[in-house]
Amino acid sequence: MRLRAAVFLILGGLGTWGVLHAQKPFLSYEVAEEHAEASLPPDWERDAEWTRARLKYTSSTFEHPLPNNTGRYGWRTDYPLGDRHTLQGLLRLTRVDAKSVEQVVELDNSSDIYNWPFLYGVEVGHWSLNDEEADQMRDYLLRGGFFMTDDFHGTLEWDVFMEGMRKVFPRRPVVDIDNKDEIFHVIYDIDQRSRIPGAQFIYSGIPWEFDGFEPKFRAIYDDKGRIMVGICHNVDMGDAIEWSDDPRYPENYASLAYRVSANYVMYDLTH
Amino acid sequence: MFEFLFKYPLSIYRQGTFIFLAGWPIWLMGLGVLAAAGVLGFLIWRQSSGSTRMGVVRRTSVWVLQTALAALLLFLLWHPALSVSALKPQQNIVAVVIDDSTSMTTNDENSTRKEAAEKVLNGGLLKALQEKFQVRLYKMSDHAERIDKLEQLTAGATATHIGESLKQVAADASSLPIGAMILLSDGADNSGGVDLETLAEIRRQRIPVHTIGLGRETMSHDVEISNVDVASRALPESRLGATVSFHQHGYTGQKAKITLKEGSKIVASQDVTLKAEGTEQVETVLFNPGDAGVKTIEAAIEPFPNEENLRNNRVTRLVNVDARKPRLLYLEGEPRWEFKFLRRAVEDDKYIDLFSILRTAQNKLYRQEQKDGKQGLTNTNELKDGFPSTVEELFGFDGIIFGSVDAPYLTKNQQEMVKQFVDRRGGGVLFLGGKDSLSDGGWAKSVDADILPTVLPDRKNTYSFVGADVELTPAGQDSLITRIEEDPIKNVERWKKLPYIRTFQDPGEPKLGAVVLANFIPKEGGGVKRPLLITMNYGRGRSAIFATGGSWRWQMLQPLADMSHEMFYRQLLRWIVSDTPQHVTGSTPKSVLADESHVKLRAEVRDKTYLPASDAIVEAHITGEGAQQETVNMVPEPLEQGVYGADWTAPQAGSYIVEVVAKRGTEEIGRDTFTFRREDGVAENFHVEQNRELLQKLSAETGGSYYKPSDAQKLGKDINYSQAGITVRETRDLWDMPAIFLLFLGIRAAEWLLRRRWGVI
Repeated sequence: MRLRAAVFLILGGLGTWGVLHAQKPFLSYEVAEEHAEASLPPDWERDAEWTRARLKYTSSTFEHPLPNNTGRYGWRTDYPLGDRHTLQGLLRLTRVDAKSVEQVVELDNSSDIYNWPFLYGVEVGHWSLNDEEADQMRDYLLRGGFFMTDDFHGTLEWDVFMEGMRKVFPRRPVVDIDNKDEIFHVIYDIDQRSRIPGAQFIYSGIPWEFDGFEPKFRAIYDDKGRIMVGICHNVDMGDAIEWSDDPRYPENYASLAYRVSANYVMYDLTH
Repeated sequence: MFEFLFKYPLSIYRQGTFIFLAGWPIWLMGLGVLAAAGVLGFLIWRQSSGSTRMGVVRRTSVWVLQTALAALLLFLLWHPALSVSALKPQQNIVAVVIDDSTSMTTNDENSTRKEAAEKVLNGGLLKALQEKFQVRLYKMSDHAERIDKLEQLTAGATATHIGESLKQVAADASSLPIGAMILLSDGADNSGGVDLETLAEIRRQRIPVHTIGLGRETMSHDVEISNVDVASRALPESRLGATVSFHQHGYTGQKAKITLKEGSKIVASQDVTLKAEGTEQVETVLFNPGDAGVKTIEAAIEPFPNEENLRNNRVTRLVNVDARKPRLLYLEGEPRWEFKFLRRAVEDDKYIDLFSILRTAQNKLYRQEQKDGKQGLTNTNELKDGFPSTVEELFGFDGIIFGSVDAPYLTKNQQEMVKQFVDRRGGGVLFLGGKDSLSDGGWAKSVDADILPTVLPDRKNTYSFVGADVELTPAGQDSLITRIEEDPIKNVERWKKLPYIRTFQDPGEPKLGAVVLANFIPKEGGGVKRPLLITMNYGRGRSAIFATGGSWRWQMLQPLADMSHEMFYRQLLRWIVSDTPQHVTGSTPKSVLADESHVKLRAEVRDKTYLPASDAIVEAHITGEGAQQETVNMVPEPLEQGVYGADWTAPQAGSYIVEVVAKRGTEEIGRDTFTFRREDGVAENFHVEQNRELLQKLSAETGGSYYKPSDAQKLGKDINYSQAGITVRETRDLWDMPAIFLLFLGIRAAEWLLRRRWGVI
């Protein structure tokens, strides 16, 4: 009896260790937005050098609950069509061998997240990070990970974002990225950066949300002057790319979103 | 015993010629033996034919014994003798050569070797020699010098060159009748032994060299460093290995400490357990030579309290830490994490400049430079158009890294340039795994397949995204490229614990001469080991394959403080570029001269395109201790294109800096600086045991004999026999040897015993 228990314990431990050190497989999650629904591309199983990871986080407050009330869907914004279009764009416009599907990851204290050094976080104006999650995010970034945030607007959402970010880096400043920074030139020269509104622009005609009038491209740098966290505030690149195949969405905003995304990915891979 | 049985010493038999004095032809003796055999056979058969006890075998046995006896009698009738050449008394000179080096001050059994030599000579040998010959005394160091009396011996010479000394004495024989030489020495030669030319000269003059070996053949309590191997050049802040070879007597199983010092500073130390007595033990001690400059590294083994010789516990070597910063060109075909993390891994290495070109999009390149620990292009126009298209541009680098780049991306000319970069330039090339690398990138059909350390598989789809574990091979366990932990055992364990690599590529089979340092074991598909990290020297350069694009996990999947990934790539990239020569490379065969002054300077000169420059004017500017300077012209070596040499003599002990400058007309081709050091009073500290093998070989090769001091007095008689000098032919009877009498008795006794056993007596 004792022997059997010991065997199970050992096997369980080994399995856990294996899980902890191995990357998790691709999983599909419930879609939050009907428009963002997308079927799996034919090559979704193709292995590739680069994969974009989408951060799954716990929402703080958001006024649009999920139909099945299975939880806040903040992280599911634009999922998965926004990801799929972004990845197609990368494949089309660059030599990045990008996987055609995204990888959803969590700050769950497992080693999985470290397998995906490029992390995309959307609607982070409604996220929350507990202390353990913040510790892991910090560790992830300092080891060489890159975190790109998108689609959060105005002062209130900024404060919510920063509440979480300050747990990660209490003292590192958040600065506006200089135009000369390589992130704006690594593949495309993006000196002029206009607004990139969300899909609501199609209906409202208003290119901003809340009091987020001006697009802000900010960053947290590491000790060597490299951007670790690329903060895209008052823009909605996820929507711009998700809706890029809709003729109602302005092409110039979509193009800019593709170019900024490509630059951010390329910057991470070159710095 | 030999002399008792055979009447004369073995040395006489060696020198003498066997003859028969009877004057009858030998065939007659043979005929006699046959006749005796026939008669005896007839008689034995006739006598024993009726006897049931004497069967065929027994009769044959008796016949053989009686025939042997008859043969022996006939042998004696023919009067056997030995014809030897003997020195004519008072008409010959015997040269007595006595080792006068400091090793003769070694104490063995309560007296020094010098004292033992004097005792042998004054104990009757010298007198015995002087009665029959003229005796010339010589003292031996790195040459032979005549002395009048033994009191002139000082045992103060700092080197022993036996061959050179005997050659000098033999040269006297061309004008003097030297009949024999006697060498009293411990055989501790510093010049590497007695060369064949010297032996041939002595043999030609037929002078036997009798040797008297002094000193113990093994020390009872001693640790001696035999050699220390360390790279003569290195980049700053490198990890170097000093391979220390040593042996010991009397301390088997005990712990010893090897230290490496630079000046008074200990740069490394390692505890070792001493292996079996007398066996050569080799240990590698890792150290960092620090910043640029000439480093004098002393390797020492801490002496034990009762050690007999403390002067052989330390050896000095020089390491020239180069101030140059090699440049690496990294061409990556696709933006990927391996590119990002490789650059990060070496960004803090201030001594390697990394220039990278990344294909970001179709027809778009992104250039970056890491120099002096900083980021940013020094020259914004450099390689704007991508991979170098001229030899000068490419050869300006010391190493190349190819990421996931397919061969057709380079033109045929560029591919050929890459091959020449390794072969002619002496550069290093590293190929990483990738979906467009190696076989999948068409490199098997490129001219650069020659420089690869493997034969690439003849198929595509060799790149896989299945994870793989990594393990070191035995060669990898010793290699400094893969040493991420100092301790070799901990290093092996460390590698086993590294996170699996994300991708791998089948690199094919290693070529002859390639070294596999690590294997990968796929996590799926049966787990068959395949080579992961392979290196090879090619032409003047070197190449390596690191068949993965997924080692970045060693950075992301390990704690922040872990530096395995950084250390690995730094060491690998340094290996790629450290030995890449420049236009001028200066060297000497030995960086430390132990009690010798002659130094051979050498310079290899290559022009702008690294072709040998045979028409250069090459000078060596030598600066010694006290800033004395001398300029030496170096001349082309006849059989080596582009190589220049000069002989020089270091006037005193100390360090010397040599700057070699090569010019063509007024244009300088290049220059190089290297150092060497002369140390005096060290050679004699090593190999102080009696080298009996050398002394015995010397005497055997020349027709002499080896003696211990205890039986050296026999030399007084044995020395009479020689073919050198003024000699007379003498005959020595052999018929009355005790051995013949015993043989006679033996044959008769054997027959008697057999017959008695068979009951026929």
